[in-house]
Amino acid sequence: MDKLWMKPPFGVGDPKEVDATPEVLTPLMVAGWSQCDPPADHEEVTTNVHD
Amino acid sequence: MSTTRLQEVLICFGKKKQADIATAQAAADMWRFTKLNASLINPKLATENDAEEYGKGHEFATVTYKTAWDVGCTLEKYLGAEIGSWAVAFALGKVVKSGGPNFVYTCTPLIPANGDAAELPYLSYVEQIRPGAGVVVDRQAVGMAVESFQISVGSGPGRANSKISVELVGSGKVIDSATGITMPSATAEKLLPSASLTLSINGVDYVTNKNIVSLETGWKNNIRMDSGFFPGSGFQTAGDGSTGAIRGRLEFGNRQGNLRLVARFMNGSDEYTKLKAQTTGTAVVTLAYDTNNSLQLTWQKIAYSVVEIAETDQILTVAVDCVPLYDAAQGILTAVGKCAVDNICQ
Repeated sequence: MDKLWMKPPFGVGDPKEVDATPEVLTPLMVAGWSQCDPPADHEEVTTNVHD
Repeated sequence: MSTTRLQEVLICFGKKKQADIATAQAAADMWRFTKLNASLINPKLATENDAEEYGKGHEFATVTYKTAWDVGCTLEKYLGAEIGSWAVAFALGKVVKSGGPNFVYTCTPLIPANGDAAELPYLSYVEQIRPGAGVVVDRQAVGMAVESFQISVGSGPGRANSKISVELVGSGKVIDSATGITMPSATAEKLLPSASLTLSINGVDYVTNKNIVSLETGWKNNIRMDSGFFPGSGFQTAGDGSTGAIRGRLEFGNRQGNLRLVARFMNGSDEYTKLKAQTTGTAVVTLAYDTNNSLQLTWQKIAYSVVEIAETDQILTVAVDCVPLYDAAQGILTAVGKCAVDNICQ
């Protein structure tokens, strides 16, 4: 499932990573959250491991 | 000299949003479509004169003044995944993009009380006829916003049974010649035909029971046009007060959603019962080309305001008007557009 980052309204609080589904996004968007880039210190976790 | 046919008109407009209301978009940020209607942007210049002023010795005008500019147009198209995604993104204003290369645009109305902007995203709109050496028209309206969209779905086999109409209003800023825009190639569209409709309203699946006859749904921003002209809003030519004022903002007013349907009326039809009880529920309208190209509008809570029994082609039908209600957690409308085009309203 796709994930993306959302930041809280009025710039107060930390961004969080959420599922990119309307069921998850709608209440956040209505509450003022908006899409943002991943935080600079965020390391992307991948399951694509090469031996 | 050859005459010019209106079918020659080429249009492109912002796929991305402008940096701000006054900054014109480049061709790379726009996309090109065909359209169904003849409407052109036609900038309108409001003028005043000195006829009523004293001190001239007569009642006649001696001079005119350019006061303000206006521009707007309506875009009518067969509904497709691309234009549908674009319309809901620019009309509602709050967009979250996910996926890729099959992109998903989740859109909701802006809520200023929760920190959102009161201005909608802006875009440029270009019209050209015979661009180049034999140019007839080449102009770019800057700072346009989507005032409304209306989707209509009907019964019948043709493309005309699934259409969208989008009304655009503008700041008034216009580049009226030599825009420098090279028209992009035409956008490949994935049409969303009437036959693809799935529809659930207030607990009733109107497609499975084969009752739906037609449906209309849309959104209107009621943009505050006059308040766009504020002290310091600017002029057609920056810094030249003789060129006429332009708007410096386009804020939405009291927004309205709408949903109407006509369905066959038969034993067990409960629309009138729900009207009397003011039963509320969700309304989900979905049109799809395939799993990656679709448009879904979810009205989070609706109640019926009008239920009238009538006829369509001698068959008893019921016409229902819905009132979209705001839900504290889910808002009023969530629109999800899916298509293979990146960067819509980004």
